Amino acid sequence: MEATTMLIGRSIPRMDSPQKVRGQTRYTDDLHVPGMLHARLVTAPYAHARILGVETSQAVSLPGVVAVITGRDLFPEGPEPAERARHMLARDKVIYYGQPVAVVVAETAEAAADAVEAVRIDYEPLPAVVDPVAAMRPDAPVIRPKELEGEWAEAGMHATVAGGEELDVARLPANITNAARFRRGDVERGFAEADVVIERTYRTPFVHQSYLEPHAALAVPDPTGGLTIYTCTQGQFYARNVTASTLGLHPEQVTLVPMEVGGGFGGKTVLLEPLAGALALRTGRPVKLALTRMEEFLLATPAPGAVIELKTGARKDGTITAIKARVIFDSGAYPGAPVNIALLLLGGYYRCENLDLEGYEVLTNKPGVGAYRAPGAPQATFAIEQQVDEMARALGWDPLEFRLRNASETGDPQPNGVPWPQIGLRTVLERMREHPIWRNRSSDPNEGYGVAIGGWPGGVEPCAANVRLNIDGTLSVTLGSVDITGTNTVMAMIAAEVLSQPVERIRVVTAPSNLAPYAGMSGGSKVTYTMGLAVQAAAEDARRQLLEIASAELEAAPEDLELVDGAVRVRGVPDRSITLERIAGISMTFGGKYAPVYGSGRAVITQQSPGFNGQIAHVRVDPDTGEVELLELVAIQDVGRALNPALVTGQVQGGAAQGVGWALHEGMIYDDNGQPLNPTLMDYDLPKATHLPPIQVELVELLSEVGPFGAKGVGEPPVIPTAAAIANAIADAAGVRLTELPMTPARVLEALRQRT
Amino acid sequence: MIPGPFSYRRAASIEEAIALLQQYGGEAKVLSGGQSLIPMMKFRLAEPAVIVDINRVPGLDAIEERNGILAIGGLVREVALERSPLIRQRYPIIADTAEVIADPLVRNLATIGGNLAHGDPANDHPATMLALRAEVVARGPGGERTIPIDDFFVDTFTTALGPDEILTEIRVPAPPPRSGGAYVKFERKVGDYAVAAAAVFLVLDEAGKIAGAGIGLTNVYYKPLRAAEAENALLGQVPSGELFRAAAELAAKAADPTTDLRGPAEYKRAVARTMTFRALEAALSRAQAAS
Repeated sequence: MEATTMLIGRSIPRMDSPQKVRGQTRYTDDLHVPGMLHARLVTAPYAHARILGVETSQAVSLPGVVAVITGRDLFPEGPEPAERARHMLARDKVIYYGQPVAVVVAETAEAAADAVEAVRIDYEPLPAVVDPVAAMRPDAPVIRPKELEGEWAEAGMHATVAGGEELDVARLPANITNAARFRRGDVERGFAEADVVIERTYRTPFVHQSYLEPHAALAVPDPTGGLTIYTCTQGQFYARNVTASTLGLHPEQVTLVPMEVGGGFGGKTVLLEPLAGALALRTGRPVKLALTRMEEFLLATPAPGAVIELKTGARKDGTITAIKARVIFDSGAYPGAPVNIALLLLGGYYRCENLDLEGYEVLTNKPGVGAYRAPGAPQATFAIEQQVDEMARALGWDPLEFRLRNASETGDPQPNGVPWPQIGLRTVLERMREHPIWRNRSSDPNEGYGVAIGGWPGGVEPCAANVRLNIDGTLSVTLGSVDITGTNTVMAMIAAEVLSQPVERIRVVTAPSNLAPYAGMSGGSKVTYTMGLAVQAAAEDARRQLLEIASAELEAAPEDLELVDGAVRVRGVPDRSITLERIAGISMTFGGKYAPVYGSGRAVITQQSPGFNGQIAHVRVDPDTGEVELLELVAIQDVGRALNPALVTGQVQGGAAQGVGWALHEGMIYDDNGQPLNPTLMDYDLPKATHLPPIQVELVELLSEVGPFGAKGVGEPPVIPTAAAIANAIADAAGVRLTELPMTPARVLEALRQRT
Repeated sequence: MIPGPFSYRRAASIEEAIALLQQYGGEAKVLSGGQSLIPMMKFRLAEPAVIVDINRVPGLDAIEERNGILAIGGLVREVALERSPLIRQRYPIIADTAEVIADPLVRNLATIGGNLAHGDPANDHPATMLALRAEVVARGPGGERTIPIDDFFVDTFTTALGPDEILTEIRVPAPPPRSGGAYVKFERKVGDYAVAAAAVFLVLDEAGKIAGAGIGLTNVYYKPLRAAEAENALLGQVPSGELFRAAAELAAKAADPTTDLRGPAEYKRAVARTMTFRALEAALSRAQAAS
């Protein structure tokens, strides 16, 4: 694996950057096809209400309006679906504020917008349940009878999690839709042995992925009853399957064309595709449905909120003796919260003989949640990494030494008993300890430093790719994974490396679902890790075929041949060569005697390569306003082999920047009736450039035994520890513990006030 | 976001604009920079039947000193205030204010007239104009009248302007010797409305005592607020940290903020106190530098 490489390990620019910088990249909402109609949603003004009637006649009669479709049109009978994307429109009752209840289809976007105001809906408001703890009570308003809950696999797509005790959810109150428990040893004994015991409750809000591009889908009906859907999904096969089964079509009757994703972060899986498809089938015309920013906040799939009750104990010698946690995820109106993964991380970063971890997924009258970069991990880590820090300080331990004393290592059991595969947690902690910002920390008044770590198990999924020689001697990689982070550039580098070609000769094509070899969702930090191997295999196959043809043409043994820029030549004899263009010409012609060069590669990895990220935050707390200024942020991550260090560094910086959002800025706010109070980017506070110091990234390269060239997944870990690191820095600066995200100036000032 | 239907009339002169307002009565809204009106229309929170665009009306975009006053035309863009050498040198409190309004894209279009005439207690210029004891010039069918700034803000989103009147000019007294002002704002994020902000204008006498004081507060009351008791407490006093803390306390007492997304009322009151104190310090150092 340590073999010298030509391209791998070099920072080359993303191949899609020039088009994006010039504004040439076309997104779904840029598409206009002949005869296209525009759809606009009519959304619910209550978080929980019975629908008494929907009056559409006035809206339908307005100029330019083609149809107004209601929930009853789409689901004439039977129960309403229990999954967000399948539940295209509400029929009998609404279960969150902003839920689509009807949709107007019109010749223009303006006509559709005007007609939305003319749709009259009668509601009978019902008591709403907004707080997840209240929603767990047996007498809480019920979102949906338990027997109607469906299977929901989304959270599982981002990390592969096994084990744990099955708790019998059917016996729990109606709004609890998933429960898990991991136990080891005896926590009460662990607490009895401890010299310090800390117990706190941590809360984190719904956080929106806040990609720049709102969801959009364009569905085009075909004459045989099928559909072509252009959409910005991160996972085309998954979106296709859900769309087809929702609409009663065979999967292959739906061709999904994955468009450029203008930011996804886990939030773009499947949402509008089934509804757009249903509208296209009903009207027989292409229909485009694009969300506004406010609709993104009302009815897309943000990250779940969490309430984490955590109690931990440790001895003076630095041993963590017990971890007891009760994790409650607020899943909104549909199941899909990452309970298991949160428990595994919360109890798995450190060795501990006594664990009792239980987790619940609870429904409330809020939008259904989805995946957001490392689902469940920022919440769990905010709790455990603050509490570990607090125990260290209470016992007089240096926070990094305390972590090193307890850090899990390769082979240590996770809470589910499964041993950690190779992990670099210890190395990351050692690098943090050596970092100059940590070593030279100053003691200016109102300033402080905090550390935290975060890990991600990593996802795996089978996939395939192929590599084709083109007529001009270039090569095309065809795959089905959607590029959300620069993965296509990395795929080109891998193919170029194997084929000894300059990367400019490689084109990477994300093919639509009817043509592409299988790929899973671009999520779970797994595209490079898994697809990289498929591309590598496909390129090796193509290389073999190229050498075979060249061998015959040059009358030399394949092992005496080498690939160079645009040609195959006999090693040591530069003038005995054949260009790739020539090989293409003679293998793709009438009467040719060689089969065209078409390499294929498949990959199935079952072993995960977890990634760990450690961060050092340096803050200043304004004692008069409570404002926290982030002065410095260091992120150190074990990435395995950094195939393209610039892209990897950018990923880590982007993740940490989103972590700053979790820490200090972001959170969807609901009133007691479930009405969202900040569904705009004016009131929902995203971190701005001025809030971020330069994020100093250090890459640790402990090579994976299985990933391509030793690569590990990169995307998820950097968002995980930031909030905890900043909370620990605030504690260092001001002596107060913030247990609720985001740590706004008002909350910090209140904590300071209570301290004195 | 698509606004509801409306008709659009562009006025070529102030007379035409006023005539259009008279013609349509309450149906019409004046479009100046449009940075509050247009978003409200896009959210369909405002659905005026007629828009009267005054952006082409000549003569409303000057910044000039004449006869002991600074005259700022109602159509002067925030970006012009930010960049004006006259404002930066002689009225830095106004530059302070302009440069913390929203973001550069908004400031390229937003006007000072709109900022005042919208009557939003969250807007920034009102507090500064209170501190400076400005006057507002309004033109209507009956001609021109001047309105002292203290009479201008009537209620939330309501000013003393009549439905057929247009704000044409803001008049600020030229700064006396040994004077200085500052606007200090605390916001959740760059470009947001203030959690609380304070505008302070101080005049010192030859002995260094405070001979004149103006304090305006942003977004802590149902309308822009003059902290009159705090002003009075400063008069005749020698500036000191203790004096400023006491004045800031009085300003915070005058505030009556509401709990909302920008924080609990008590928090906003605390921020108002801190902003007032910081604005007093900044104004003092400018006044001392000017002497």
